[in-house]
Amino acid sequence: MAFLEVKDLKVHFPVKGGIFGRTVDHIKAVDGVSFSLEQGKTYGLVGESGSGKTTTGRAIIGLNKITAGKVSYDGHDITNIKKAGLDVRKEIQMIFQDPYSSLNPKKRVLDIIAEPLRNYEKLSKQEEKKRVQELVELVGLSPESIVKYPHQFSGGQRQRIGVARAIALKPKLIIADEPVSALDVSVQAQVLNFMEDIQEEMGLTYIFIGHDLGVIRHMCDDIGIMYKGRYVEEGTVEDIFNNPQHIYTKRLVAAIPDINPENRKGLINYRHEIQREYEQFYDDYFGDDGLAYSLKPISDTHLVALPEKG
Amino acid sequence: MEKENAYTDKSVQNSEASESPSGFRILWREIMRDKIALISLILLIIVVAFVYGTSIIMDKEEIVKVDLFAIHQPPSDEFILGTDYGGRDIFGQLIIGTRNSLSVAILVTLMTGIIGIVYGLVSGYFGGHVDNIMMRILDFFLILPFIMVVIVFVAIVPKYTVVSFSLIMTAFLWMGIARLIRSKALQERELDYAQASKTLGSSNLKIMFSQVLPNLSSLIIVTMTLNLAANIGLESGLSFLGFGFPESTPSLGTLVSYATNPTTLEERWWIWVPASVMIFVLMLAVNNVGQALKRATDARQRRG
Amino acid sequence: MNHMWKFTVRRTLIMIPQLLLLSVLVFLMAQAMPGDALTGQINPDLDPQEMQEQREELGLNDPWHVKYADWITGALQGDLGQSFQFKMPASELIWNRMVNSFWLGVATLIITYLIAIPLGITSGRFNDSLLDSSITGYTYIGFATPIFIFALVMLWIFGYQLGWFPTSGSVAPGVESGGLEYVMSKIYHLLLPAISLGLITTVNTVQYLRSEIIDTKQRDFIITARAKGASESRVYNRHIFRNSLLPIAAFFGFEITGLIGGTVFVERIFGYPGMGDLFIESVLLRDYTVVTSVVLLFGLASILGALISDIILSLVDPRIRIK
Repeated sequence: MAFLEVKDLKVHFPVKGGIFGRTVDHIKAVDGVSFSLEQGKTYGLVGESGSGKTTTGRAIIGLNKITAGKVSYDGHDITNIKKAGLDVRKEIQMIFQDPYSSLNPKKRVLDIIAEPLRNYEKLSKQEEKKRVQELVELVGLSPESIVKYPHQFSGGQRQRIGVARAIALKPKLIIADEPVSALDVSVQAQVLNFMEDIQEEMGLTYIFIGHDLGVIRHMCDDIGIMYKGRYVEEGTVEDIFNNPQHIYTKRLVAAIPDINPENRKGLINYRHEIQREYEQFYDDYFGDDGLAYSLKPISDTHLVALPEKG
Repeated sequence: MEKENAYTDKSVQNSEASESPSGFRILWREIMRDKIALISLILLIIVVAFVYGTSIIMDKEEIVKVDLFAIHQPPSDEFILGTDYGGRDIFGQLIIGTRNSLSVAILVTLMTGIIGIVYGLVSGYFGGHVDNIMMRILDFFLILPFIMVVIVFVAIVPKYTVVSFSLIMTAFLWMGIARLIRSKALQERELDYAQASKTLGSSNLKIMFSQVLPNLSSLIIVTMTLNLAANIGLESGLSFLGFGFPESTPSLGTLVSYATNPTTLEERWWIWVPASVMIFVLMLAVNNVGQALKRATDARQRRG
Repeated sequence: MNHMWKFTVRRTLIMIPQLLLLSVLVFLMAQAMPGDALTGQINPDLDPQEMQEQREELGLNDPWHVKYADWITGALQGDLGQSFQFKMPASELIWNRMVNSFWLGVATLIITYLIAIPLGITSGRFNDSLLDSSITGYTYIGFATPIFIFALVMLWIFGYQLGWFPTSGSVAPGVESGGLEYVMSKIYHLLLPAISLGLITTVNTVQYLRSEIIDTKQRDFIITARAKGASESRVYNRHIFRNSLLPIAAFFGFEITGLIGGTVFVERIFGYPGMGDLFIESVLLRDYTVVTSVVLLFGLASILGALISDIILSLVDPRIRIK
C-alpha cells in the first residue's frame, strides 16, 4: 500500500443562480484525479492556473471539501480529514504560496510558529520558547527573530517562517503549494535547497505544486500534469521531460528556456513545430467537452491520456 | 510587495523594538499629526476629567433638591448657571448630566460593540447559510424605526432604570458594527493565514477570536469611536423627548428639553444653552478623533 | 434585464418575512402594553361580571394567535382599532397627521437634495480647495449636531427672535381648507421644520457625493475621455456627474428610514401635527392603539423605502445584485 493514495478525487464547486440561489451548475475544479506516492519522495503537480492542482492539494489537507473519491494516508482513510484522528492530522502540513498573507500580520513569530504546538502539545512556556527557537534556527533565522512581527522580514525569510511552522509538529507529509513562486528568483534556489535539506533530515514526503517546470524538474521524483481538472500525463521526471507523449505536455516541456545560446535557434524551430502540432491535433487529444481522456499506461511508470481510438 | 533585500538577517537582528503593524502606534501617530483631532482629544480629556472629578465631590442630593424660593434664577455668584423651574442648580445638573450621558453612551457603545463583533465575526467567518440567515435577521433590525421602537420599550418596561434604558438602546443599535465586522471577516477568512490555522489544528473558535479578531482591531476602534459620538446624540435625544434617563436623574437631554417651553427658550438661555453646547462639543470632539482614526486606518487617506 | 428581474423578485420575496416579523413585533408590543381596549372606554361603575362578558365578546380573552389573526386581518382592511383617548378609529386620527408628515418628508427630501447636489459636486470637483474645506467643515459640524438642538436653535432664531416663520402648527388658524391661501399657509408652516431637518440630513449625501466624484475622477473611462480631448466641463457634465448622481438618487429610499427618526424631533419642537408628534403624544397619553399603529406604519414605510432603494441600486450598480 502506498504512503499516500488518491483515488478518483473530485472537487466540484456549486454555482448558485436563480431566484432562490439554488445550485444550478458545478465547476469541476478537480474531476477524477488519482495518484499515489511513496514515503520520502517528492511528487510534483503541474499545470496552468485553474488546472486544479492547488485545489487537489487543498482537498487532501481538508481545506476544500471533497465531492467524491478517496484519499488514504499511511493506511488511514483521510477523505474526511476532520474525522481522522489528531495523530494523523498533525502528520500532514502545508506550506502556502504567498508568504505575505500566510503569516498573521498581528502575531509575533513566536506565536505563529507555536500555534500548532499549542494545539497538539502541552508545553510549558519555557519549553515552547525553546522549541520555537530551535525551529527558527533550523530554518536559518536568528533566535531573536521570535519576538518580531512578519512585516519585519523579507519574502524569503517569511517563507522560512512558514516552513518552520509547517515542520513544528514533525510531520511526515508536506503539501507545498507553489512555495517559491511569489519569491524573487534569487531567493527561490535558497528556499528550494533548504526544503531539500530538511526533507533528507526529517524524512519528509512532499507534494510539490507548481507551474515552473524548471523548479519541478529540480525537486520532484514523479510528476502529474493537470489540465482543466484532469490528468493529461503522469510519470517519472525522465518520462515527462525526455519522453513526453501528450501534446499538452510536449508544449509545456518545449517552453522550458535553455541557457545555452547556441541551442536557441533550434529551440525556437522546435517550439514552432510543437505549436503547429498542438493546434492541428488539439481536437484529437481532448474529448468533445475539451477535457482530457482517461489515463492509459504506456510503461510501468508512464501514463498518458491518449484518445480512445488510439 | 516589500523589496526582497530590504531586510537582511543582520538588520533583523539589529533592530531592537518590534511593533505590530498598523496597530495602535499608527493610530496614535495620526492623531498627533492632525491638529483638529489633537485639540479635540485634549478637550475631551479635560471635559471628562473635570466632569468625573467634580461629580465625585459634588453633593448630588443638594443638586436635585427642589428649592421653591430660587426658581428660574439667572446666573449669579450663588448659582453659576442659574436655576431651573424647581430652583435646582443648573451647573450641578450640567456636570452630573454630562457624566450620566457620557457613562450611558460609553456603556451602550461597549455593549453594542461586543454584540456586533461576535455577531459579525460568526456570520462572516462561517459564511454560507449561517451568514445568510444572520444577515436577514440583521436586515430586519435595521429597518425598524429606532427612536419609536425604543420609546415604546421604554414606555412598557416595568421598573424602568438607567440599566434597562441602556439595554433597550443596545438591543436596537448593534447592527451597524456587526455589518462592518462581518464584511471584513468575510475577507479575512479567505486569507492564507486563516486557512493555515485550520491545517495547524486550530478550532474555528480559536481562529475567529485569536487569529481573525486581532486583524479587525483598527476597524473596531474606529467604528466604536464614531458610534460613541452617535450614541451621545441618541441618548440625549431620547432624554430630550422624555424617554431617556428616568425622571429624577439629571441628563443633558433633559436640560435641553426645558427649552420646549417657549419662555425658557426665549428668556432663560442658561437652562438649555450650556447643555446644548456640551452635547455639541462632546459629539464634535469624539467625531473628530474618530475621523482622524479612520483616515489612519485607510492608508490612501493618511496625511503623512 | 433578466438578472434585474430575478433580483427584483428575490428582493420582494425577502420583504414578506420582514413584514410578518414587523407585524408580530408590533403586536407583541401592543400586548405588552398595560391596559386594553376596555380600560379607558367602559365606565368605571360597570360591574365586574358584565365587564367580563364584554371582554369575552370583544375577544380580549382569546389566545394570542387568535388575537393576532384578528388584529392582522383588521389592519389589512385598514382597521387599526380604536383610540382610547379620542374615542375614534385610530386610522382616522392617523390619516390627517400622515398627510402632514408626508408633505414634511417631501419638503425635507427636496431641500436635502437641493443642498447636497451643488455642495457635493463642488466639493468633489475642486477637492482640497478652500471651498472644499469649508464644505467638508460643514458636513463635520452637521454630523456632530443632533437634530433636536439644531431645530431648537432654528426655532429660537427664525421663529422667535426674527419672527420670520410661525412657531407652531401646520396651518394658520382660521384659514379655510382649499384655495391658494390655505396651500400657502401650509407651505409657510412646514418650511422651517423642513429646512432644519434638511440641513442636517443632507451632510451624509454631500459626503457621499463628494467621495463618489473623487473616485470617479480617477477611473479609467474618465482618463480616456480626457485623453480623447473632451473639454473639462464636458467630462464633468457627461461622464462624472451622471455616474455619481445615480447612486445618490437610489439612496432616497433609505433616506426615508432616516427621516422617520428626524421627524419625531422636528414635529415635536415645531409643534407640527404630524405622525411623529402624534406618536409622542399617544405614548404620553397611553393611547396604545395609536402608538402601535404608528410604529407599524413607519416600519412599513422603511421596508418599502429599502425595497425601492435596493431595486434602483441594482439597476444602477450591478455589483449590488450579487448578495
